[in-house]
Parts: sequence; structure tokens; C-alpha cells
Amino acid sequence: MAGKSGRSINNVPESPFKKAIFSWEGILVIVFILVNILSSQLSEFYNIGNVLYQMPTFLAEVLLMLPMAYILVLGEIDISVGAMVCLCATTSVMVCNTGAPFILVVLAALATGLCCGAINGFILTRFQELPPMIVTLGTQIIFRGLAEVILGSGGSVSAADTKGFKQLQTKVGEVPTILFVVLVFAVIAAVILGKTIFGRRVYAIGTNRVAAYYAGIHVQKIRFIIYSAMGVMSGLCALYLVSKSYSANTTQGNGFEMDAIAMAVFGGISSTGGKGNLAGGIISAFIIVCLRCGLKLANVHAQVILLIIGVLLISAVALPNIIKEIRKAASGKKKA
Amino acid sequence: MKKNSTVKKIVGSREFLLAVIIAILFALVTFKSPSFLTPKSLSDMLKNNAVTMVMALGMLCVMLVGGIDISITSTLALSGMSIGMLLKYGHISGIILPFIIAIAIGIACGLIVGLIISRADVPPIIATMGFMYIYRAMGYLISNGGEWAGAAALGTFKDFATSTFLGINKVIWVIIVCYVIFFVFMKWARTGRKIYAVGSNAEAAQVSGINVRNIKLLVFSIMGCLAGLGGALQVSVYASAMPDMQYGGEMDVIAACVIGGVSMSGGRGSVVGVLFGSIILATIAKALPLVGIDALAQNMVKGIIILVVVVVNVILQRIADNNALKGREM
Repeated sequence: MAGKSGRSINNVPESPFKKAIFSWEGILVIVFILVNILSSQLSEFYNIGNVLYQMPTFLAEVLLMLPMAYILVLGEIDISVGAMVCLCATTSVMVCNTGAPFILVVLAALATGLCCGAINGFILTRFQELPPMIVTLGTQIIFRGLAEVILGSGGSVSAADTKGFKQLQTKVGEVPTILFVVLVFAVIAAVILGKTIFGRRVYAIGTNRVAAYYAGIHVQKIRFIIYSAMGVMSGLCALYLVSKSYSANTTQGNGFEMDAIAMAVFGGISSTGGKGNLAGGIISAFIIVCLRCGLKLANVHAQVILLIIGVLLISAVALPNIIKEIRKAASGKKKA
Repeated sequence: MKKNSTVKKIVGSREFLLAVIIAILFALVTFKSPSFLTPKSLSDMLKNNAVTMVMALGMLCVMLVGGIDISITSTLALSGMSIGMLLKYGHISGIILPFIIAIAIGIACGLIVGLIISRADVPPIIATMGFMYIYRAMGYLISNGGEWAGAAALGTFKDFATSTFLGINKVIWVIIVCYVIFFVFMKWARTGRKIYAVGSNAEAAQVSGINVRNIKLLVFSIMGCLAGLGGALQVSVYASAMPDMQYGGEMDVIAACVIGGVSMSGGRGSVVGVLFGSIILATIAKALPLVGIDALAQNMVKGIIILVVVVVNVILQRIADNNALKGREM
């Protein structure tokens, strides 16, 4: 049952209500509510209107978290995401500036992402001995380097025609459409990972890749698909980024891979593979989005926000282990 | 017969291959621009890459136990920024004291990372990713939100990087001392061998009486110590301290290790390999503009080189494995 219930602090079967509260997802929901209360205390401007106004900046990163969760469940990691976003944003603005219709711009961004992801996937599946960390480290430098070459010495380019990008920003009433896009993708990704054969195979590979291979799972095919999907989502994220600034520059997407990984890991998806589910990941993504909105509205310095996220990330992984350790020590004493 | 096998061992080793690559690189670059192979040019190259070279030693230790540390340049920024601000506001002066303070801050940072990783079982990539944010933010906070400590504020401290000892720049002496200490430590010291043991097979090491947790704590402390030293060197060499220094530089350090043959899964790698790996990386960075590759394209070429090196590595390993299998055939 690896990963079915995510990481639960309480393993003893109890009433379903108690179980729901004490599961990692239950704790996350409580944290989510706490974060919202705290944010509203910190800043008088923290209300639904302002949060919805701030949200799109951070929501684009949630799109990256979804495929990243798959990669983490595989027990792997992709740190070239930020560079892929940068390259996709660059190509989309470049295509836009040639006067092409907006649909071509969208296709160019997605295709660039697909190519980048497929390159990662190709190298990783052809040379399976290579650790994903080092391959994506190399491709990260290449993708961002390529964007630097395309952008030239100025280091940035703005879109001449912003009409198409404006369409991406439309709102339904107060709610920006990107929220619906993120939610739709999140539900699709969660259902595929949790309920389909494909998703169960991903867990199988993450738990034991060799055993999964001998059980007849096309390990390399699945890895290739997931890395390519990561690329396509980077393209989508890049489009939303460009739709806010109408420009692309060489530092775009810096640190996005870390944010995506932080969201997933905070949601209980283990980086060692085979554990966690997307429900946790999605809740934690919204915790971080709300936290960022709240701190930003309270005028907290960007670096301090990163510090808080860093502390959250480490404590989310460390605390359950420390609690387990203390319990083990306590039960050991009882026996002796 | 025995002598023959020693020669064969040296020629067949990875370090020899790296040395050959360095020789070819040096020859190519000198052919293109004869001023490259002069003591001044070489010493400049080493000086400018001192931080990466020193930190690569710590990364070797971390990668030997199968870990990775991407928080090092944040530690560097925190320690460098601390001494920068202390010097700027006249709390300390001189050369020795700032170095000691920077190294102490580095060790403290490394200890915290090591404790989280070894005692709370957090995967190194996650823990160091968190600390990458935390230490970098602390560096910003210390700098009062982005203040710089310029050359004028550093006083005599920046003279360290321009003064010489026995005709060689003092920064290069630091590199030499570090590499000699680590060569002896990793090859002959008991603790050094324990690091290899933990990296090759942690469970076997545990059973044979090695305290795996303490070894992990130790390697991250060593890494922190060297990152602190790197902070002091960085401030001294570039005569300025700013909170975003060496942003993304951890990738260069990891790349130097990987080119030098350190395995990401632990247990394999040597000090000599790391030395050659970081020299190759430094030479390439210096050679690219000389052979007419646009400054903008340098990052891309560097990435391609890293990928090619790791892929060739795998292919060579496969060939070696195949040959070993063939040797067993009747």
C-alpha cells in the first residue's frame, strides 16, 4: 500500500474522523487555515480581493509542482525546470515579435518545453545509470545558456504585441482564470497519479525500479513521458509569466525548481520516491501561495519570505522523523 | 612484472586520463594565445577560481557519502558578508581574525546542516535546498537589506589576495595547503578512509563499527568549514562583499567534482581527480573567450561539456564492464 495514504503520523487504525485529522493532509488543512488567520492578522489588506489579485504571480509555479510531484514519486529530481521556463518564455516572446498569431506563440512555448523535457528524458532513459540530479544540472546550464544566446547582450526582450498575452490574464468576476486552469490540471494530475494504472506504475517504479521492470512495467517509457510532461508544463508556466511582464529575461524562472520541489515535499511527497499523494501537494501549494500573498501584503522583504519557506520545508521533513525517533526512544525505554 | 602492473595502473586510472585532457587543453589554448602559459596568467586563473577549487574538496567529502550540498554558496555569502560588515563598521581589522570568524561561521552553518541531515534523516538535497534559502536570507539581513562592503571598507584585509609568500600569491598557497591536507587526510587518515567506507556501503560500515551518523555530521561540517574559508577568500580576492555573491556557484563546484570523477552515488572519487576536474573547468572558462566563443555562449558550452563528460563516463564504464564479462568467458 505504499503511498496510498501518504505520510501519516499515526499508524494505528482509529476512527475515520480522527484518522482524517491526524493524516498529513489533515494537518496541512489545519496549517492552511492557520496561515490564512495569521496573514489576516499581519496585514489589514489581507482579504479575498487582494489575495486573488496577488495570486497569479505565484499560481504559475503550482503548474510546475504537478509534474514535479510525479518525478519525486519516481524517486528522481529535475532541477532544470527554472531554466526551461526561461527558455520557453524567451521563444514565446521571440515568436510573438515576428508577428505570428497568438496560437503559434502558445504552440512555440509548449513545443520548446516539450523538446527540453524530451532531451532530459532521452538522456536519462538512454543512460539510466546517470543520476537525474547531474543530468538536469547540465541541461539547466545549457537551457539558460541558450536563452542567454537568443536574448543577446541586452539580456531581455519585450513583447511588441501584448494583445494575445492579455487574453491569458482574463478574469471571471474577481477570480483570475489561471486559478481555474491550475485547479483543472491539479485534479487531472491527482486522479491520474492516484487512480489510474499509469499512476500506480509510477509508485511501483519509485518504490523499486528493478522489481517494477521485472513486473513488466515499461520503466523507461514512463520516465520519458513524465520528463516530457514536465517540459510542457514549464512552457505553460512561462506563458503565464510572460502574460504578466510582457517580456522575457535571462533571470526569469530563477529558483522555480526549488519552489516546485518545496511545495511537493511540504505536501508529504517523499524525495526518496514511492510515497505521498498529490492531494497533500496541492494543499501545501496553496498554503505556500497564501503565505506568500500574506507576507507580501504585510510588506515583508522577499528574502525573509524565502527564509520562512526554507524553515517550513526543513521542518516539514524533519519533524515527523524526529517525532518517530522520540517515540522509538520512549518505547525502547519501556521495554528495558 | 610487478613494476609493469604499477605503470598500467597509473596509465589506466581516471586521473591519468584527466591529466592528458589538461595537457591537450593547455596545448590548444597556448597554441591559440601564447600568453596563456605564463606564470602570471596561470596564477591569475588559479586565484580567480580559488573559491571553487577549495569548496570542491568539501563537496568531494559530501558526495563520497552519497550526499550533496547546494547550500554552500549561501554559507559563503553569509560568512563573507559577516566579515565584510564587521570590517566595514570597524569591529575587527587585520587578516587573521576575519579568516577565523568566517571559518567559524562556516563550521556553525555546516554543523546545523549536518545535524538536520544525520539526526533527523532529511534527504541532503531537501535539507540543503532549505538552508540555501535560509543562509542567503540571513546574509541579506546582515547586510541591512543589500548593503555592500566595498574595497575601501575592507582595509588591509583585501591585501591578502595581492601579497605573495615565497614568490607565490597567498591565495594559491591556501589552495595548495588545502589540497595537501586533504590528500593526506583522505588517503591515510583513519577518518578519511571511514568516509570512503560509509560511501561505498553505509550498512556494512555501520555493522563494522563506524558511526555513520557522526561521519555524515563530519562531512557536512567540513563542507561548511571550507565554504566559510571560501567566503573569506571571495571577499579578499574580489575586494568586496555583497549578499548575492557566487549565486549559483554551487553548480560549478558540483561540476568540478563530477568532471573529476566523483560518483554521485558515493564511494568513488579522489582528491587528485577533484584537483584536475576543477583545473579543467577553470581552463575551459578561460579558454572559451580565447578561441573566439562569444561570452554569451560560454554557459551553454560549459553545460554541454559537463553532459558530455558524464555521458562518456557511462559509456566507458559500460565498455569496461563488458570487457570484464568477456574476460570470464571460456
